[in-house]
Amino acid sequence: MTRTHTGLFRLLLLSAAVLAASAAYLLTDSKLYDLRLFAFALKLRLPALAVMLIASCSIGAASLIFQTIINNRIVTPCLLGMNSMYSLVHTAAVFFFGSGSILAVNANLAFAVDLAVMALTAVFIYGFLFKKTGHSVLYVLLIGTVLSSLFGSMQSALVRIMDPNEYDALLVSLVADFNHVNSEIILISLLLLAVTAFALRRDLAVLDVLALGRDQAVSLGIDYDRTVRRLLLGVVLCISIATAMVGPVSFLGLIIANLARQAMKTGRHALLIPCSALMGMLAVIGGQLMTEHLFSFSVPVSTLITMGGGIYFLYLLLFKKEGGY
Amino acid sequence: MMKKITGREWSGTVLMALLLAVLSFASLFVGVTGITLDVLLSGQDEMALKIFLLARIPRLLAILCTGTGMSIAGLIMQQLCMNRFVSPTTGATISSAQLGILLSLVFLPGMGIWGRTLSAFLTAVAGTWIFVWFIRRIPFQNAVLVPLVGIMFGNIIGGITGFLSYRFEMTQQMSSFLIGSFAPVIRGNYELVWLAAPLVILAFIYADHFNIAGMGEDFASNLGVSYCLILFAGLTISAMITAAVVSVVGSISYVGLLVPNMVTLFRGDRLRGCLTDTALFGSLFVLSADLIARTVIMPYELPIELIIGIGGSILFIGLLLYRLKYGRKAIRFTRKETISCD
Amino acid sequence: MKVSDLIKKYEGKTVVDSVSFQLPKGKVTSLIGPNGAGKSTVMGMISRLIAKDSGMISFEDRDLSGWNSRELAKKLAILTQHNNVQMKLTVRELVAFGRFPYSGGRLTEEDETIIDRAIAYMELESFEHRFIDELSGGQRQRAYIAMVIAQDTEYILLDEPTNNLDIYHSSNMMKIVRRLCDELGKTVILVLHEINYAAFYSDYICAFVNGKVAKFGTVDEVITRENLSQIYNVDFEIIRINDKPLSVYY
Repeated sequence: MTRTHTGLFRLLLLSAAVLAASAAYLLTDSKLYDLRLFAFALKLRLPALAVMLIASCSIGAASLIFQTIINNRIVTPCLLGMNSMYSLVHTAAVFFFGSGSILAVNANLAFAVDLAVMALTAVFIYGFLFKKTGHSVLYVLLIGTVLSSLFGSMQSALVRIMDPNEYDALLVSLVADFNHVNSEIILISLLLLAVTAFALRRDLAVLDVLALGRDQAVSLGIDYDRTVRRLLLGVVLCISIATAMVGPVSFLGLIIANLARQAMKTGRHALLIPCSALMGMLAVIGGQLMTEHLFSFSVPVSTLITMGGGIYFLYLLLFKKEGGY
Repeated sequence: MMKKITGREWSGTVLMALLLAVLSFASLFVGVTGITLDVLLSGQDEMALKIFLLARIPRLLAILCTGTGMSIAGLIMQQLCMNRFVSPTTGATISSAQLGILLSLVFLPGMGIWGRTLSAFLTAVAGTWIFVWFIRRIPFQNAVLVPLVGIMFGNIIGGITGFLSYRFEMTQQMSSFLIGSFAPVIRGNYELVWLAAPLVILAFIYADHFNIAGMGEDFASNLGVSYCLILFAGLTISAMITAAVVSVVGSISYVGLLVPNMVTLFRGDRLRGCLTDTALFGSLFVLSADLIARTVIMPYELPIELIIGIGGSILFIGLLLYRLKYGRKAIRFTRKETISCD
Repeated sequence: MKVSDLIKKYEGKTVVDSVSFQLPKGKVTSLIGPNGAGKSTVMGMISRLIAKDSGMISFEDRDLSGWNSRELAKKLAILTQHNNVQMKLTVRELVAFGRFPYSGGRLTEEDETIIDRAIAYMELESFEHRFIDELSGGQRQRAYIAMVIAQDTEYILLDEPTNNLDIYHSSNMMKIVRRLCDELGKTVILVLHEINYAAFYSDYICAFVNGKVAKFGTVDEVITRENLSQIYNVDFEIIRINDKPLSVYY
């Protein structure tokens, strides 16, 4: 089984690259000569690093799993607006419970409420979408894109209704981005990810079979609909965690999941998912290093990702017929 | 050959015109400062008269121009591209115009609104041409692929705009052009939007040409119409209307997409018959959205783009699902309808 | 396997209307009929890909819905036409999926031997490590059949296995079907459009018209001039080659 070995070797290489990037992120300009300053820098950067690692890992894994579930390589949860949906849910929660309520103060509690609402609505809306469109990829994509702008408009409208004078400040405090990461929920997110992975371990193990398509998966004895529903829930959870931590990033998942498939040249999800997660970490930390030191914060990472991702998406849509729509 | 227009078809148009007149009149009296007809007519309150002439009437005119212009622009683009889902929003025209505005803000800061509009004209026309050139080169054309490509194309241009405005610290200034609102419209700063009027009249005059070009290149040449000329002229008109609107009130999405679709749902595809209805319905659509935007959080107001963004997205999704169910069949993958393949 | 009173409706339209039949074990049975007759839907229901509205499908004296999905997968394998896999898979990896119901992804020594045998049976040894998206249509079809063989089920259901194949690969496919039954003792059920393949290679034929079973019986019983003309609404001539009734229509 040499193919497995080269796969593992590549994963190791990637991990090393991620470690190197993390080290670079922690150590660059961190005043190593003065221990106090260094400790201070670490105190600022460690949580940010952890957030970026967790978020990109969630996006990578979720996008890859989602692509397998709906059997298409140009559709990712973020392209269908799942992340804008999370931002909307979060804003709506604060809106309805009031900005002075316990939800606005206690990040963990707010996060839990968001997750519960998000899980219910997302599974309902996207389940409806897949059913209605009869899994026609282009329709799913187009409607998803429109949904994404719908959630965005609703969210900005809510923010402005809450405080018509200071909506800019409010928007920043409500939605995280790479420069204002939300590090209060690191522990609960890690816990959630672990619990999800454990609860879904059986479903994750059959992803390889799911990739054969519904008919073949059923033929091989899989309870297809139930497995897919459970996995979809896991995907929603991962996307929520990532969005809560670093805000919406639309194209990251698309890029890293496809890169992972290209790099690994295998259908085995045991290798693909870690690869996609590692690719995500590398992309995000690399991007952050670049914006902090090359562009000195003048360009946000998400802008870079949107531009690159958009072009890559068009390329996939028009010139790679792997989608098979 | 002329289809006889029956009284019943006219009744819809008349009804819309009446409704528009009533709503327009009502909209003049909606606002923070309570202005009533009595006060105006008595001529005692000069302040009220001033507000009326400086803000309320310009606002109404701007709304009517925007509604008519954007929906006609959308209709022309749909006819020429032979795709019901193409519009300034889904054809990268709006985002190109925004890029043009940013460029003028950065490089020609002294030129004011004229420089802004001119620059928006140029980029909008260029962006739309590139988009159409691009989709005409797609090997297989799927009704839904085209708007998807357009939206992504618009996203990329939007990304460039975002990048540049970050670079030149123009984010604040740009935000009013990214989210359209009629609130800042007062006499003296909105008149450029009237440019839409002559363009719309042009569209009325050449309606038949657009209709013929919409039937395809072969059909057009057969009738002795220069296809390329009409295509370019039509796209240019659409792009210019859009640019005028965007540089005055900011982006107003979905109007150009939805209004023509909703009108043709009831009237059919012939352009000349549709134009009046489309223009009326477009004005009505934007006016109602603006009224909602003005009243929903009195005494403040929401930007109209948010109202249209919410209502428009929902309507568009409904339209897509409707087309999916009753329109041409989409290409399917992985799962088939067993019933249809048997 | 026994089917009784099977009914399926789509949006108020009855597609399958009280269908009952019993499938003979160890034989090749073909489901034929005009478009929209409901044969693929029936196939979908007996392979649990499509939910039935009412009726009974009893498999080894137990209703299909009562079976554990994993257990059923050891008894019954389906191959449909919709297997455009999006991922990079080698032929061997694909065939190995056939062992999934037994070992859940962790292959044992025994699994490996069974996979080897299936690959050898379909003469795929030289392609074993090629990616399936690099293969021709006929080779890919054989790889999928090898997977079904590795699944080692008693029953094999094939939905239009000759679709999209040229004449050479189609007749090869049908010969493989025959071998599956004769050499490996499988019960094979197929949906076929091509009546002559059905007549030449199967033992029993079940003909559908308008969601109902029009005729069920041995090839000689069903493939007659009157029956076919009635089923397809076209004039038929029957000639005999190799003692099999072949139909001519135009």
